[in-house]
Amino acid sequence: MAKRPILGLFNDANAAADAGDGLKSAGVSEKDYDFLTDAPYPEGAFGEREEKHRLYIYPFVGAVLGLTSALLLTTMSQMAYPLVTGGKPIISLPPMAVISYEGTMLGAILFTVLGIIFESRLPNLKKGLYDTRITEGYIGVLVNAEETQHDRVADVLNQAGAVDVKRQS
Amino acid sequence: MSSHSSSHSESQYPADMWVLPNAQRMSWDVGGKTRSIPSLYKLVLIATGVLAVLGVVGFFMRLSADGFSANGHGPWGYYASAFAYVFLITGAAPLVSVAFRITKSHWRRSISRIAELFAVVGVLNVILYIPLIFILPSINNPNFGAGVHGELVIRRTIWMEVPFGAPHLWNFLGLLALAVTSLAILWMSATPDMAEARSSATGLRKLKYNLLSGHWYGTGRQWNRQKANLAILGALYFMTLIFVQFLIVSDYAMSLIAGWKDSILPPLYTVTGFQSALSLILIIAFVMRRWGGYREYIGISPFWAASKIQLGLTLLWTYHLFAFFITFWYGRLEVEQNLLRYLLFESYGPIFWANLLFIFFIPFFILMWNPIRKSDWGPALAGVSILVGSLLFHIRMFVGAFNAGDIYDLGLSSVPPAVFPDIWDVFMVIGIIGLAAFLYLVAAKVIPILSIWEVKEGALYQSKRRLFHGEYMVLAKPE
Repeated sequence: MAKRPILGLFNDANAAADAGDGLKSAGVSEKDYDFLTDAPYPEGAFGEREEKHRLYIYPFVGAVLGLTSALLLTTMSQMAYPLVTGGKPIISLPPMAVISYEGTMLGAILFTVLGIIFESRLPNLKKGLYDTRITEGYIGVLVNAEETQHDRVADVLNQAGAVDVKRQS
Repeated sequence: MSSHSSSHSESQYPADMWVLPNAQRMSWDVGGKTRSIPSLYKLVLIATGVLAVLGVVGFFMRLSADGFSANGHGPWGYYASAFAYVFLITGAAPLVSVAFRITKSHWRRSISRIAELFAVVGVLNVILYIPLIFILPSINNPNFGAGVHGELVIRRTIWMEVPFGAPHLWNFLGLLALAVTSLAILWMSATPDMAEARSSATGLRKLKYNLLSGHWYGTGRQWNRQKANLAILGALYFMTLIFVQFLIVSDYAMSLIAGWKDSILPPLYTVTGFQSALSLILIIAFVMRRWGGYREYIGISPFWAASKIQLGLTLLWTYHLFAFFITFWYGRLEVEQNLLRYLLFESYGPIFWANLLFIFFIPFFILMWNPIRKSDWGPALAGVSILVGSLLFHIRMFVGAFNAGDIYDLGLSSVPPAVFPDIWDVFMVIGIIGLAAFLYLVAAKVIPILSIWEVKEGALYQSKRRLFHGEYMVLAKPE
C-alpha cells in the first residue's frame, strides 16, 4: 500500500521533539518522518537523524572539468600559433593562469547551480501537506505512513501534545 | 560584576542596541511591508526611473555623436566610470551577506537580504558591459608596421599572449558568472521567505512565489541543503568576484595608460568595492530603520559591528593608496612621474584631493568615535561620504585612463589634461546609478528586504537575562 502523509502541528518545540521520540518508539522509521519549521533549528534539536549531503562533489567535478578545458584551450592555442613572446617558452604557465582560473570558477559555478537544481528535485509541482501556522512558529511533524497506520500515528502525535493533526484530503 | 551594573537601557548601550523581534508576527508584518508601496517610495521610484530615462538619452546621444569606435574610446570614459562604479559596489554587496554568514556573525541577520538583493543589479552589470566590448581598443596595435618606432606591437595587458576570446569573452563570462551566482544565492536565501508569503499572496505574486518556492516546506533536509548551498555558492562568489574586479580594473583602467604597471591598483579597487558596498548597505539599513518601519527588526548592533569593519576598510584604502604613491614617487621614472602628475597632482589633482577627503578624512573622523559608531546615523553618514569619494575615485581612474593619449606608446610621455563631463556624460552617470537604484527598489517590493528566516533563527538563539543588577544579551552558539 502506498504511503500517505499525515501532519501533526505543535506550538511547543519540546512537544515536537517528544513526538519524534514517540514515533521512534512506535516503530516508525526515521526516514519516514521529518520536522517542518519556519527557521533552521540546530541539527539534532528534535532528536532527528543526521542529514548528510554530497553537494561539495558538484563544484569539485565542475572545477576539475573547467580547469582541464581551460588548460587544453590555452595549450592548444599556443601550439597552433607558436609566437615567441618576450623570449619566454611557447608553452608557459603564467599566460595560462588567468584563463585557467576563470575556467575553473566557471566550471565550478555551472556544476554547482545544476547540482542545486538536481538535489532540490526541481521543478517540483506536486503540492505537499502543509499548514500556514508553521510560518507563525508552529512545528510540523510530517509522517509518511501507510493509511492503515494513520490512526496509530495520530495517537502518537496527539499524546505528544499536537494542537492539530491533518491528513491529505 | 559591579553592583553598579545596570540594564542596557540605562548603561552605555542604546536601548535598542539589540532587538528581540516577535517571530510569530514577523512573517505577516514583513510580508505586508513588502506588498505595500507608500507614497514616498513611489516618489523615489519615479525619480530613479526618470534618471534612468535620462541615462538612456545620454547614452544614445553619445552614441550618435561618437559611435562605438575602439580607437575613439575617449568619449566613453564617463560611461566606463559609471559602469565600474555600479559594478564594483553592487558586485561586492552580496559578499557582505556571504562573508558574515560564513563567519557566523549574528549581527548580520537583519542586513543580509539588503546585501543579497543587489544580485538583481548583477544582471544590469552584464547588460551595461556590452557596449564596453565594442569600445575597448584592440590589444594588437593596428598601426604597427615597418618603420614604426616607439610603439608596441601588442599593448601591455594581463592577456600576455592574447589567448582565444581575450579579453571580451572572458570579461563577459566572468560578469555573467557573477550574476548567475549572486542570483542563485538570492534565490536560495529568499526561498523560505517566499514560501511563507505564498499562502497570503494573490494573483501574479502568488504565481511567482509558487514558481520560485513551491518546493519548499522547511524540512530538516531542505534547511541542511540550503545551508550547504549558501556556503558553497558564497565561497565561489567570493573567488570569482575578486577575479572579475581584477579583470575590469586591469583592462579598462591600467592597460589604457601606456606604461602603467601597478600591482597595487587591483587590490585598491577591491578594497574600494568592499568599503563602498558595506557603506551602501548601512545607508539602506538606516533608511529602513528610520523611515521604513523596520525599527523593531534592525537594532543598533549591526551598525556598531559593521562600522568597525567600515573603519578598518577606510584605513586599508589609505594604506593601499600610499603604497601605490610611494612606489611611483621613489621610482622616479618618467612614466611614473607623469602618472602621478596625471592622476594625483595635476590634471586630476582637484578630483584626487576631493576623493581623498570623502573616502578617507571625513569617514575616518566620523568613525573614529565609538559613540558615533554606536549609532545608526554615524556609519550611514560616513557611508554617504564614502560613496561620493568612491565615485570621484572611479572618475579619476577610468576617465583618466580613457583619455591618456596613445595607448600603444612605450610609456606616458606627457601629462594629458583632465577631461570634464559634458551634458550627455552627466546624463549617463546619473542614469546608470538611477537605473541600478530603480531595479533595487523594484526587487525590494518583490522579495522581502528583511531575511525573515534568518532573523527568526537569531531569535531562537538570543534572549535578555538578568545577571546581578544588570540585564544582558545572552547568545547561544550551537556550532
